[in-house]
Amino acid sequence: SAAAPRPWRLFGAMCLLRLPRITQPLEKEEEEMAALMEQLELEKSHYSDHEIRKLEEEEQLQRRKESLYDEDEASGKTVIMAQDLEEKWEQKFLRFKAAPRITDADKSNDRTSLNRKLDSNLMLLVKQKIGNQELWLLPQVEWQPGETLRNTAERAMATFLGDHIQAKILGNAPYGIYKYKFPRAIRTEDNVGAKVFFFKAFLQSSDLSQAKLRADHLWVTKKELGDYLKSEYLKKVNRFLLD
Amino acid sequence: DALLGCHRSYRSRPTHGIGKFKYLLPKEVPKRKKEKVQMKEIDAGTEYQYGDINIQMTSYDLCLVEHFAQHVHRLCNRLSIRVNESYAMPTKTNEVLFLEERGSKMQLDAVLTTHQRVVQIRGLSSTFAPILLEIIQSNQPEGVHLLVKQHTEADFKSRLKSRPELEELLAQMS
Repeated sequence: SAAAPRPWRLFGAMCLLRLPRITQPLEKEEEEMAALMEQLELEKSHYSDHEIRKLEEEEQLQRRKESLYDEDEASGKTVIMAQDLEEKWEQKFLRFKAAPRITDADKSNDRTSLNRKLDSNLMLLVKQKIGNQELWLLPQVEWQPGETLRNTAERAMATFLGDHIQAKILGNAPYGIYKYKFPRAIRTEDNVGAKVFFFKAFLQSSDLSQAKLRADHLWVTKKELGDYLKSEYLKKVNRFLLD
Repeated sequence: DALLGCHRSYRSRPTHGIGKFKYLLPKEVPKRKKEKVQMKEIDAGTEYQYGDINIQMTSYDLCLVEHFAQHVHRLCNRLSIRVNESYAMPTKTNEVLFLEERGSKMQLDAVLTTHQRVVQIRGLSSTFAPILLEIIQSNQPEGVHLLVKQHTEADFKSRLKSRPELEELLAQMS
């Protein structure tokens, strides 16, 4: 006999992660430890070639000042002194300017841009209409018979971000599941509730200019998820998020 | 007293050679240096297991790469994933020459060394692989490139040095 049709509707949802670009700042103990280890290593280390050369040239200079022995010898050898090289390197270093860790988007708290919070994971949240309500959710799309759940999730990503996104899904297995029953008014025999399967994908490139973003979208960190998601949904989603 | 009164087992005494045990152990055959043929497992077959996988980490900074390789190795130990080997590839040195063409042509040199460490893993189940990859990715330090690929014969051969004289003689013989 054929299996009874299941009364659950299946959805595939995609959790699109943008990996952090910078390391997180060190804690107080980590910083102290790092400073201590550096000092230890400095005290235990030997002189490098450059430092030996510098010391020798300083000695030569001193000898030249006190008495005029090495005039004929030294003038042939040292064209560029080690001290000059160091000064040149220092100047070059001062000219180099590192990119700021806290970008403009951080200061203005603009949650729609990808340039915020460069040291933590950012997730995509989209506003979707379910039943009567407009909710903030991870982008989800209903499962069609005949396709794998992973394809459903990819389709969900494609509907909200357009094609040609360089996102990588690592495995075929879902990361989490959230099931809920419809309110009694809509519940029928065939449609008891819905199950949402979550998949994870990693954004390879941060270039979203080609993507056509429909509807409202947000990029949020794990802590800010609580502002937007409902508590039950949030609990299940938090289970598979690393931070 | 105690210092003068010890009985040294001299050759004439019956207790000579009392502590010897090596004659009781089984004989060890001396190991010969042979090239080991690599073993491969089922790849995504019915058992959903990956074969040999290489995790290659490259960077300019030696300490960082070594510490990261150690970290990955220990992580695999804790997660009871079998680690076949964890080895280092030879370092490559690059000399960077700047040609400044303002007035006098100067050549500033910088010497960069690229280090590579490889951790070889076997028996990774395909349900666990994405989790492991995510953990390693999120723990990646700055300046370290990560590459995860399957182990091939070419990877194995790249570790061995070629002997040109042997090859010449073989070519002469055949």
